[in-house]
Amino acid sequence: MDLRLTEEQRQIADSIGQLLAHASDSAGMRRAAFEHGGFDASLWAQLGELGACGVHIAEAHGGLGLGATELVLVAEEFGRRLACVPWLESVVLAGTTLAALGDDRVAAHWLPPLASGEQIVTLDIGLAPGAPLSVRREGADLRIDGVLPAVPAALAARSLLLPVPDGNERRLMAIGLDAPGVLRRARENHDATRPVAEVSLQNVRVRSDECLAHGAALERALARGRLLAAAVLASELVGVAQQCLDLTVAHLAQRVQFGKPLATFQALKHRCATMMVAVELARSAVLGAARTFDAQPDDARLLRPATMARCLADEAAQYCTQEAIQLHGGVGFTWEFDPHLYFKRAQAARAWFGTPGTWREQLAASLLDEVAA
Amino acid sequence: MSDLDYAGFRAEVRAWMQAHLRGEFEPLRACGGLGDSRYDPKLAKRWEQELARGGWVGVGWPKEHGGRALPLSQQVVFHEEYVRAGGPGRLGHIGETLLAPTVMAFGTPAQQRRFLPGILAGTEYWAQGYSEPNAGSDLANVQTRARLEGDTWIIDGQKTWTSWAHESDWIFVVARCEPGSQRHHGLVMLLVPLRQKGVTIRPIRQITGDSEFNEVFFDGARTEGELHLGAPGEGWKVAMALLGFERGVSTLGQQAGFEREMACLIEVARRNGVARDPVMRQRIAQAAVTLDALRCNALRVLAQDDAAAGGVPVSREAYIAKYVWSNWRRDFGRLAADVLGAAATLPDDDPLAQQLRQVWLFSRSDTIYAGTNEIQLNLIAERALGMPR
Repeated sequence: MDLRLTEEQRQIADSIGQLLAHASDSAGMRRAAFEHGGFDASLWAQLGELGACGVHIAEAHGGLGLGATELVLVAEEFGRRLACVPWLESVVLAGTTLAALGDDRVAAHWLPPLASGEQIVTLDIGLAPGAPLSVRREGADLRIDGVLPAVPAALAARSLLLPVPDGNERRLMAIGLDAPGVLRRARENHDATRPVAEVSLQNVRVRSDECLAHGAALERALARGRLLAAAVLASELVGVAQQCLDLTVAHLAQRVQFGKPLATFQALKHRCATMMVAVELARSAVLGAARTFDAQPDDARLLRPATMARCLADEAAQYCTQEAIQLHGGVGFTWEFDPHLYFKRAQAARAWFGTPGTWREQLAASLLDEVAA
Repeated sequence: MSDLDYAGFRAEVRAWMQAHLRGEFEPLRACGGLGDSRYDPKLAKRWEQELARGGWVGVGWPKEHGGRALPLSQQVVFHEEYVRAGGPGRLGHIGETLLAPTVMAFGTPAQQRRFLPGILAGTEYWAQGYSEPNAGSDLANVQTRARLEGDTWIIDGQKTWTSWAHESDWIFVVARCEPGSQRHHGLVMLLVPLRQKGVTIRPIRQITGDSEFNEVFFDGARTEGELHLGAPGEGWKVAMALLGFERGVSTLGQQAGFEREMACLIEVARRNGVARDPVMRQRIAQAAVTLDALRCNALRVLAQDDAAAGGVPVSREAYIAKYVWSNWRRDFGRLAADVLGAAATLPDDDPLAQQLRQVWLFSRSDTIYAGTNEIQLNLIAERALGMPR
């Protein structure tokens, strides 16, 4: 496995990084989070122009045709700036799932507007438990009732991809989020940079022959989307941890106590060094996982690298956000300073795509349990 | 390069190991080497010679010095397959991977002709004479003295923590050659024969109960006047360059050794039922993925080294390498002891349990030697993060 990055790969990350450093600096990010419901529409448009919404979408469908390595490099920049855009939800999760269905007709319809950023698509990832949906057949139609308590990016998105139970399999239906009977309500959210909404479906009609996929093909695509999105989320968390480290080192360099900068105290230097250890190890894990994804082995062989990225990045983000608050001292507990925003993101992320503990248990089963004959 | 590359070369290493690590060498199979009480050094030296005959010593050395000049990525493959095949810890490691590259970089042609062949053939073994009772983390406080009398260096002083001195033929010694010099000035790197009247080697008993390292006393010890590496007075530069060679391909061999230990732990946990404990399952899975991450980090470091030979500042991932693997192994040692339960401290005949007990105790040294945790954190903070000294 070769972990060298090419010049092109660095350039992609740099160009997104530069855009975000300007458009999603602390003030910009806070404006989008607290005044615009966590969606920066103008930033999203700029990202679309840069091709950032089509990083790993095939060129035939209007994307750049790149791989997981480029995705994680870009994701780290999003995490670092807590950019208020539904990139993980629409591009990574929905995009990967749609592409993995392996249906040219579906891909040709859905991927081009997704890759340009014109169309934002989301998926319910089961963040909060809800009652099962009720689905009735009415001739060629399905009628869906129920409440999805916490759907990411549901306010910014135009479509929701919804796996709907039908007999003993599931069918993937696309729900127009402004269709009759669909009601969206923003949820109060401590992680204001990543909005979540409740979506109520009241007798929503979809045509059953408009099903995007069903059965094994659907489940495989959902699994693939979840695996890759978990690794990309991990990279965002590396960005979260890195930014907390940088903020902390900068703060300690300028804050003077006992007549000298705090950065000169060995106890504090070691704390920062330990943060860097966590960040770099997590970054190595994410890059290694991305390389394995790019080698495209079967999903069974992706569980371990995805678990690695997920668990190491979770640890780095938990640790570095906690330390950033602590090492900023009193101001670390104020609304005005940024560490709390990262701290909240790091916690919110733990519930996405399964907790780190769930991933570990899944891996433990593959390592420790006898394979049934 | 993907994991599938070098498939032919992998098969070659595997086949050779299978054909040669047998018969008289069977007792060495999967022995850790340093600090493993099952390790028979006499047999290990014969094994080094067997490897040498197979052309497996110095695989990364340039051809002009008798090596195979394999690219870094292929050396990594060799180390991985070697360990996976049960290859034991390498007695020749210090000579092959630390001293030899330094001799190539700083040695005279005469020194190269004299010392490289013995290392390559597995007939001459080397020890490292750096630490002293008052120069541990503070290495620049070296007090061992060397003076040139005619065409002979005379050495007085004491080195400590000297691994395998009792099994080695030569030692490279950092000594003070300019009386009254301070810190990293006025030092010389000398190549000194260990088997002589002026050298006394005293084993130090470790927490494992074994004695893998030693105190080495120099009392008018002698070496030839030309056996200094680099110029007298510039020993610090040479000593630091040598440490630079320590971060290298062998880390991947070490990694493969950890993977073997992990497999051993899983086997024991399955056998004794610990594998059903939900908390232990979490800990084992976390250890497994962190081990994978160490591998990714090592590959990142190697990718850097490969891409930018020389002159490039050490990368961030390289700064954390020693800290992360040693702390992983210490945690792993504790996990291993917990998997063993009472058998951690009540030895039995089970060879797997024996290996885990060895790791439990030996891993306590990992976070101390080759730069303690605390020194590593200083380096990270000051050099990688640029915090003030």
